[in-house]
Amino acid sequence: MGMLSNPPYPAGTVISGKWRGNRYVVERMLGRGANGTVYLVQRQGRRERYALKIGNDTLELQSEINVLTSLQSSRKRREHRAHRESALSSYLLESDDFKEDDSVPFYVMRYVEGRPLHHFLAKNGASWLGLVGLKLLEKLRNLHECGFVFGDLKPENVLVSNYGEAELIDYGGASPLGRSVKQFTEWHDRGYWNAGSRTGDENYDLFAFAVLCLRLLNEEGLKAAAAQLPQTRSADELVKLARSLPDKKLSSWLCLALKGGFPGSAAATEAWKTHIYSTRKPGKETMATPGWLKSAFALSLFVLVFTIYYVFRF
Amino acid sequence: MKQILLITDGCSNVGESPVMAAAHARQEGITVNVVGVVDYGTIGELGSREIADIAKAGGGISRIVGTPQLAQTIQMMTRKTVVQTIQQAVNKEVKKILGEGSLEELPPLQRSQVVTVVDELTETTPLRIALLIDASASMKPKLGAVEDAIRDLALSLEAREGKSEIAVFHFPGRSSSEEAMLDLDWTHNVSQVRSLFSKLKMRGATPTGPAIFKVLEHYRYDTLDEQRERPTDDGYDEKEGMIGGYVV
Repeated sequence: MGMLSNPPYPAGTVISGKWRGNRYVVERMLGRGANGTVYLVQRQGRRERYALKIGNDTLELQSEINVLTSLQSSRKRREHRAHRESALSSYLLESDDFKEDDSVPFYVMRYVEGRPLHHFLAKNGASWLGLVGLKLLEKLRNLHECGFVFGDLKPENVLVSNYGEAELIDYGGASPLGRSVKQFTEWHDRGYWNAGSRTGDENYDLFAFAVLCLRLLNEEGLKAAAAQLPQTRSADELVKLARSLPDKKLSSWLCLALKGGFPGSAAATEAWKTHIYSTRKPGKETMATPGWLKSAFALSLFVLVFTIYYVFRF
Repeated sequence: MKQILLITDGCSNVGESPVMAAAHARQEGITVNVVGVVDYGTIGELGSREIADIAKAGGGISRIVGTPQLAQTIQMMTRKTVVQTIQQAVNKEVKKILGEGSLEELPPLQRSQVVTVVDELTETTPLRIALLIDASASMKPKLGAVEDAIRDLALSLEAREGKSEIAVFHFPGRSSSEEAMLDLDWTHNVSQVRSLFSKLKMRGATPTGPAIFKVLEHYRYDTLDEQRERPTDDGYDEKEGMIGGYVV
């Protein structure tokens, strides 16, 4: 963990590539991941801003770059088949080494403006979960279709823009389907809850997604369930938590995901779309008609009656 | 690939030097990692130096943690050691082919290919880990956490594609002539990691060095056994040859 003790690069530092020669100016630090530090940078002489991840462990960082590269190429292939523009999909821009005293590897990716999922929901309200959850599930489905599992899914690794676009960040834990999961976080890990293996399959990510929802909606309950003895810890505790949620459709979706009951993420996404995303909003709005609207309606009725009376009178 | 993971909370005080024992292990191709578990107070300068020295002599890594971080720590150490061992072997091959250079100096394209091979081998190389648990009196309150950590490690190993097995020893054994006792022989089955230390009688001495030698013996004995069973097996210890095959 030597890299964590390194002081961050100050604003204005120029990170230049040893192999390709591009130069990036550091604007500020965005965060630290398991394999490195992420900075907001600007390519020298241009306007676009990017996120740049730099880390000391060449092997781990290169492994992450490899995942991103093969993800990118399989996405391109699919989009080529679908005759779509692939401008949006270029997530990874380039990778290179920064030659200081030692060579430090880095890679440059698209900059996603937004805040971590838990901060977003705290600010904008839990009613956004239906939409943001759908966007996130679509991302996971995409990843699975390309043959990868995300692994370390948690609110900190999801960025949400102001308008509810969700983006996965930190692919350090991603691994090919069927391989062991490389990085995970206790609460979100299926193995931690004695609910299955650590082999990366679609249901591994869906389980982590369900815990993520529970954490967003009832963090205290989750904390209490996690405090149990390791031998007695089980997914039943999580199912109990899910059942206690007021939204019954959401709770039955979560129960199914916790038990590994979906055939895959495509089915899980469809179920979320029809039962949670689209039923939520109209239900909410018909129930809560604001008071001022009622009185305005009464007033307009009164004016109508008065007008009719007035017209017929004369 | 073979590893010994020593979990202890203090200094050895009986028998041969554990540092020498670890050096022997390394000579036989077995990496030794050491975790010092401390919940209250400190492990002392002597203890922490010994822990670092054993790991250094055994070509492994050492950490000192409290019981809450134990599971995560041994997970990380095991993985890191596997990657390191493979990386060293691959680097050797790379040097053979390119004359000079390590992973860091390779141009991006070659580096990406080499790392793909390292990742592949990390997942698929057969792996054996002997856990050696200090069961002296002061460790008693920590053994529950140790068992949970072992179960968690077994779960992670089970997810690997390559054959992965663990064995568990504790030391000292039942009598003064027994340096270490086998609690669980080579297994890949997580469900067998259960109530390992329930019948333990705690004793005062900490013969870390002799215990490591005992584990080495077990490794050796077992290898002989294997060869008897499959005399013409292509041998899954010939790591070098396998890697060469991948890289070229």
